[in-house]
Order: sequence, then structure tokens, then C-alpha cells
Amino acid sequence: MKKILVLVAIAGLASGCGGTMRNSIPVVDSGTTVRPDGAVVQPQSQPSHGVRQGPVVVYKTDEKPYISEPEVMTMPTEAIMVEHEEKTVVSRAEQQMITDSGVAQVASPSPRLDAPVQALLNTAQQQKNRGDLEGAAASVERAQRIAPREPQVLYRLAEVRLAQGDAKDAEQIAQRAVGLSSGQPGLQAGLWDLIAEARERLGDDAGAAVARSKARVNL
Amino acid sequence: MKKPQRKTNRRPSKKKKAVASRKWWSLLLKLAVVGLLALLAVLVYMDAVVQEKFSGKRWTIPARVYARPLELYVGQKLRRDDFLAELEALGYQRERAASRAGTLSVNGQMIEVFTRGFQFYEGDEPAQRLRVGFAGNSVASLADASGKGLALVRLDPLLIGGIYPSHNEDRILVRLEQVPKLLTDTLIAVEDRDFYNHYGVSLKSIARALWVNTSSGRLQQGGSTLTQQLVKNFFLTNERSLSRKVNEALMSLLLELHYDKGEILEAYLNEVFLGQDGQRAVHGFGLASQYYFGQPLHELQPHQIALLVGIVKGPSYYSPRRQPERALARRNLVLDLMLDQGLLTNEQLVAAKAQPLAVNKQGSLTNTTYPAFMDLVRRQLREDYHDEDLTEEGLRIFTSFDVVLQRKAEDAVAQAFKQLGARKGIDEVEAAMVVTDPQTGEVQALLGSKTPRFAGFNRALDAVRPIGSLVKPAIYLTALQQPDRYTLTSYLQDEAFSVKDKKGELWSPQNYDRTEHGTIFLYQGLASSYNLSTARLGLELGVPKVMQTLHQLGMERDWPAYPSMLLGAGSLSPFEVTRMYQTLANGGYNSPLRAIRNVLSADGQPLGRYPLRVEQRFDEGAIYLTQEALRRAMTEGTGRSAYNRIGRNIRLAGKTGTSNDMRDSWFAGYGQDLLAVAWMGRDDNGQTSLTGATGSLLAWSIFMEKAEPRSLATQLPENIVNVQIEPSEGWAIPEQCQAVDTVVTMPYIVGSEPLPLESCLEAAPIQETQKTGGVKNWLKRWLN
Repeated sequence: MKKILVLVAIAGLASGCGGTMRNSIPVVDSGTTVRPDGAVVQPQSQPSHGVRQGPVVVYKTDEKPYISEPEVMTMPTEAIMVEHEEKTVVSRAEQQMITDSGVAQVASPSPRLDAPVQALLNTAQQQKNRGDLEGAAASVERAQRIAPREPQVLYRLAEVRLAQGDAKDAEQIAQRAVGLSSGQPGLQAGLWDLIAEARERLGDDAGAAVARSKARVNL
Repeated sequence: MKKPQRKTNRRPSKKKKAVASRKWWSLLLKLAVVGLLALLAVLVYMDAVVQEKFSGKRWTIPARVYARPLELYVGQKLRRDDFLAELEALGYQRERAASRAGTLSVNGQMIEVFTRGFQFYEGDEPAQRLRVGFAGNSVASLADASGKGLALVRLDPLLIGGIYPSHNEDRILVRLEQVPKLLTDTLIAVEDRDFYNHYGVSLKSIARALWVNTSSGRLQQGGSTLTQQLVKNFFLTNERSLSRKVNEALMSLLLELHYDKGEILEAYLNEVFLGQDGQRAVHGFGLASQYYFGQPLHELQPHQIALLVGIVKGPSYYSPRRQPERALARRNLVLDLMLDQGLLTNEQLVAAKAQPLAVNKQGSLTNTTYPAFMDLVRRQLREDYHDEDLTEEGLRIFTSFDVVLQRKAEDAVAQAFKQLGARKGIDEVEAAMVVTDPQTGEVQALLGSKTPRFAGFNRALDAVRPIGSLVKPAIYLTALQQPDRYTLTSYLQDEAFSVKDKKGELWSPQNYDRTEHGTIFLYQGLASSYNLSTARLGLELGVPKVMQTLHQLGMERDWPAYPSMLLGAGSLSPFEVTRMYQTLANGGYNSPLRAIRNVLSADGQPLGRYPLRVEQRFDEGAIYLTQEALRRAMTEGTGRSAYNRIGRNIRLAGKTGTSNDMRDSWFAGYGQDLLAVAWMGRDDNGQTSLTGATGSLLAWSIFMEKAEPRSLATQLPENIVNVQIEPSEGWAIPEQCQAVDTVVTMPYIVGSEPLPLESCLEAAPIQETQKTGGVKNWLKRWLN
């Protein structure tokens, strides 16, 4: 039994070392940013962690947590810390994430979102699926008021804007999110892809190419 | 012999009489026919008027303006007392248990609330019972009645005003089903007991009124039916003539002919005049309920219903605010009648009579409660909507207004003036303040005057005044965008100079303290707001380049490119200043300042949204460096007195501004989630005795102390790196260096970091030839 486990572990490590392939490693970055000087930085806009450790809360009683692109999960069960070169702390979750076949394919999901923000993003996704883009934008903006610097929220807002045909807004909002998501290379890659798409729609092919190359560098 | 002629003579006179009387009769008949036709014509005309007025769009409903709804979630920055203040403003009643919508109960740090539902742009929020627990300045727990945790809940938004048509009418329409049965029953009992039986005019009622009015001490009744009162209110003026009475009666009959009792009653409930709110007439029970009690109609208790019904007879005579004793007596009389008619039990009667009048101190409907913000809302709406849409279509406008922050701002300004009370001429000094969330660009509070209830000159939007040193960050930002030339620790010379302007005149700026500070670090020029070094830097960069930065920050005025603009000779309104500092506070991303979030039509259809927009105007690194200098302005520079009130652990950035001869006192400063710009000055542009620090900074500090902004984020932009330097000359300190015992951390754009000391020993002797007082004094001050 032990032998098999060892083999599995080696196989797992080996596949991990074989180069980064998107979607092959469901890593979840639920950690914090570690600065070059070793200090751990708590994101300012987050409330104290202790308060969030309650039971899973739902926005509406009949709604299940909606898991969708790029990397949403509500409860990581086991966290394995892996030290990264970029000095970010990543953890591995047991849940698979479902990726979207649309604009962004994010390999390394980002920190767990606060319950109200998550609930609003869920609602926004449902509205988007129904074709109610205005409603989706309103819901994401509501989430943004609660977590103004949360890059995942800004990512979703940029996404909705792009769907609404507002490429300029989408590009700028995604750009803002890039600046706020240092230490989350997966999310940044997704953001750069979104920026590339937006720039293409604006006719800025050169800019789009730059953005795409940045998306590749991040992984 | 009989004479035959007499016979013939008599017959003609009779015939004549007969002919004459027939003529009279026929004339009379003709007149009667004409009269009847005329009457018929009048009736037909009246009928047309009645039908036209009564069906279709009967009322023009003004637009309603709402503040932001308070969102509740665990971890939210919200104090228990601020939550209670919001609930109080919303008209929630404090009771032993929150048993129905619109009530709350307090149990130490735990508050139980039964929220009212609301129909928002994004969807409906249901009414529900909640338990909210507080700890310190945040929400610690949020659960429903069964104890299950809730992720997010929204309260109903506070109505802060309306946009009224010129004829100043207003309504909160209620359908008959929405009106409490007790109210309609009481109304009918008091005003028109035979309502359901008569045909518009009730002879019985008139007779009864005559009988009742002759015996004293009984409830005085009018003989008019509700239908007649409705007609009077609806169509006719206050004339009291016989012809009017006849008109009224005829129209009442016609009304009853066309419409059923329910429709007439509903119209009455929405039309009856119930009070005067300044220039605005309060019509209808829906509006009256808000006007007198701040609560929706369906939440009213029997004693409140009795008061409203009692007022019908004479809203001015029985005004509960101006004639409380009369109003109370009338209310109790109505309560007695309610018992008499079996609408109340004896216990209910006793309980109701024991209640005080309990009307609101002032009508919260008048749009003069927050005139400055309402003014902003109206201006922003006018860009997208016609006046008729605004004043007639019943639009619902949702804004970003935060009533709690507004109150804190108002209190802060009042406190500041109180503290400045001893100063000569302080009475002539006015003030303004703009408060926004820099992360969203939403305007949360607005003061146009130091007396905020006064709906006059909106200084926040319209007082265009020289901004003084508030312009300086633009100069430093311009410099810091060139990291190959300038860093925060580049040397500047704070020394006197003169330049000739285009006219050939000499411009010789001076420092505020009339001294030269010699060689200083670049950031000190901004933190200490030195004029000499700043002006030199600005001229080195070129005034047009600085102007470009100002425009990129969001300034839309065209200033001439004179050197004096570098020291703030240019004028802006507080709102325009906020637009510029917004870009600084949001990482270099410009957002338009929004007061409105979205607009719903009267029947709940989404009409328009004002979305979040950002546009990157500056490199995040350059902005971060500028912000660092502004942060040091707070810790060691001209803004440091703010920390007499605010905790030092809260990182803030800010800039003082004083214009020539102290005619304008400015302060613009921000934390992570709150930006506020304060101004003080005289309307006649005269000299005050206030600097930016002694005037506006005081008001700003008191406000921030109350508002508790979040500390500025410490997250560094991608192209910024912190370097440890020695503070005397700004050399970088290698890690292994032991000789230097004072080390300061400074941010730099990657690639512009200062060179390290070649050897640790070089740090020890300070070269006197290089240094003047400036740097050493800074060091001394920093160490203290």
C-alpha cells in the first residue's frame, strides 16, 4: 500500500515538473502575499480572518454555491503549502475547478472570497447566463463596493463589460486589477488575456500582442 | 232691449286674456326647454371634466431620491451606534421585540431588526427578521431569526428628497388594498358615515350634521360626503358660494354615476390635503404618514391613524407640530369615536390614548434636508433626463449618499467652528466639504455651507477659489514620472530666486516662514509645502508640463501657464479639487465622481445605470511615490496635527492649502476608503486668519476621527521597491553595514534606487560642505 502511495506521489511530482499545463494542476492560491523582505502582508480590505471561519453561509436559502469559471470554491478542506519562486503562498484544494471555455483560462485560482462577495458573484453569473448583462454588471459592482480592491471582482466586472460591448472599460478595469493582483500569477494571466481580447476589439493589435505575451510570461 | 255689442265686447277681452296667458305659458315653456338644455349642456360638460380628470393619469408624481441602502455582512466596518442612527433615520421603531416590519430591539451589542422589503434595481430584497451582532467598529455576526448565518442583507434605502414640479405637489400613491382597514373604517366613521349608502350627496348626513352641531360637546360633523370633499379637493378652488355648492353636489352625483365606491375612496385617500411642508402641499395618507411619522402607512398604529384622520378636518388648525394640544384633543376624540363604532376595544383605546403625539421633529421629505447633495443629484440627472420626466413620472433615483457620513461631516464642521469661535471675524467664514470613496468614485456626503440645512449657495460645487498649495502634488507627480531624473530623495535647493514673466515683471516667491531651507530631499518640498523648492522644480519641469499633469488628474479648466500657477494661483471648486485627488487616491486611475447609481421607473422598470468607470492616467509607481510624500506630509509635514485626533496606526495622505493672504483654507486628504476635501473662506473673498492647517485641516481631522477611514494599503506596485537608506544624504545601506544606526525605508521605482555606500565607514562623518540645515533638521525632527 505504501509503495503505491509513493509511486503516486512521485508520479504526481513528476507530472508537475513536466512543465506548466493549464488545467492540469488545480492549485488554489488561498494564501497571502509575502514581501521580498519576508513580511507577510494582509490585504487591507479584508476583515479579520477569525470572523470568517463560521459555517458556510448562503445568500438566499434555496441557492447552492455556484461553482463556475474561473476558480470559485467555498471551502478548501486540505491546504498543502508550496513555496514558490515568486514568493507567493499557494495551497492545493481537493475540489476540481471548472474552467470556462470563454475568454480566460486561469490555472491557479485565487484566494477564497468573502461570503457576501461570493454570493453576489454567483448571482451575477446566473444573471449573465440568463442574458441579463445589466443585472450582472449591477451585481458585480455591488460586490466591488464591498471588496473594492479584490482583483477577482474586478476581473468579473471587466468580463461583463466586455460581454456588454464596452471594450474600453473592460480593458481599464482589468488593468486596474492587474495592479492589485501581484502574487496571483494565474489571475494575472487571465487578466492579461482579457486585456488582449479587449484591445483586439478596439483595433489595437499591437497592444493585444503585448498583452498576450504578458499572459504567457505569468505562467 | 239688450244691446248685442256688449256681448261681443266681453268675448274679445276674454279671448285676449286667454291668448295672453297662452303666450305666457308658451314663453315659459320655451324658457324651460332652453333652461333644461342649458342644464343638460352643463351636466354633459361637467361629466366630461369628471371623467377626464378622474381616469387616466390623475396625479403628477415627482421623482424620489434615495440614499444608498445600508448593506450588512460579517466583517463590515460599521459601528453599532451608526447602525442605530441609520435605523432611526429610516423610521424604525424601537420596541421590546422586533415583531413586525419596521421595528428593532436592542440587547447590548446585539440588535434584532425586522427589515422592510424593498424593490431595488437589481431585484427585490425581502422583508425579514435579523440579528446583527457588533464588536468594536465592525459587524461580528449576522443571522436570520432561526440563527442561520446570512451572507448579505440590505436595508431599505432612506428617502432623502424628491424633485418636484413647480406646482409643488407630491404623492405617495397607495392602492385601496394597501391602506389599513382601520384607517378607512375610521375615516368613514368620522367624515361620512353613510358613505356606502348615498349617491354622492347625503341628505341624511346634512340633517345629522345640523342636529349634531346644535348640541354641544359632540364630535362636530360636516355635512359633506367624502365624494363632495374629493370633488372640492380635486377640481374646485376654495370658494365658498352657493353656486359652488351646487356645482359640487352635481359633480358628486356624476362621479358616483361613473365610478364605484372603492375607486372614489381610493382617490380620496390619495388626494385629501393633510398638511403643508414649507412650499410643498402634503396630499394623501401615504405621504402624510411619511411626513408626520417617517413610516409607511401600513406600519401605523391606532393612535397614529386616529391623528391622521383627525387632521382631515383642518390640517392647519389641528397641526400636530404647531398646535399639539389641539391635535392631541382631536386625536383622542377620534379614538373615542373608534371605540363607539366598535373599531377598537377598550384596552386598545386606553393604550392608544396613553401614547404621545410622537410626530417627527421635522418632515424628512423636504428636499432641503440635504440641499447640497440634492443639488448635485439634480445637476447630474439633468444631463440625461428632461425636467418633465423628473418632476412628473415618478422616477426612483438611487444615489450613493451616506446619511451617517453626512451627519459626521456636518458635526465635524460645526465642531471646528466652535473651536475656532474665539477668532476675530470667524462668523464671516464659510465652509464646504466633499466626501467620496476613492475606490469607487462615489460621492457620499456633500456640504455646501457651514449651516447645512440652508439651501443657498452650494459652495462645494460653485465656490471657485484659488487652491494654493493643493496644486503642488501635480508638480511632484510630474517629476516622479521621470525616475531617471527624480526620486523622493533627489536633492532640491530651497533657495530664493526671481524670474521675469512674459510682461517683464519680476516674480519672487517666498516660503511661508520666510526662510530658506537649503538643500532638501525632494519629498520634503511637498511634505513641508515649501514654496521655493517647489517653484524651482516646477520651472525646471516646465509649467506647460505641470498643466498637462493637472489635466490628466482630472482638472477641466484652462489655466494660463504662468509661474504663479505653480504655487496655486489657479482657482477650482472643492468638487473639482476632489476630482483631481480622486485620481491620486485611486492608484492613478481617474473615475468620474458619481452621485447616482441607477434609476427605476415608477413601476419598477430599470431605466438607467451609471456604471463604474476607470481610466488609467498615471503609472502606479509614480502615484505611489507621490502618495508617500503626501503620507509624510501627515506624519512629519504640514498635516501632522491631524494625528492629534486620529490614531497613528492609520496611514493617511493629505495636503494643506493656503491661498494668498489666507483668503482660502484648504485640506485634501484620504485613507484607503475615504477621501475628503474641506474648504473654508469668506464669501466676500476677504482675509481670514486661517491657514489650511488651522482651518480646514481641523474640520477634516474631526471628520476623519468620526468616520474611521481604513489605513492606506501597504501593497507595493509592481515597479516599486523599498530601499533602506541612511537619512542624512540618502545613500542606500547595504545589509551588512553596521556603522549607521538610523535607517529609513523609502520607496523607489525599480532602476532608480540610490547607490549604496561604498563602505560603511563613509556614513559616519557628515560632510559639512554638502549639508545645510535642511536635511539635518529633518533628521532631528524625524528622530523626535
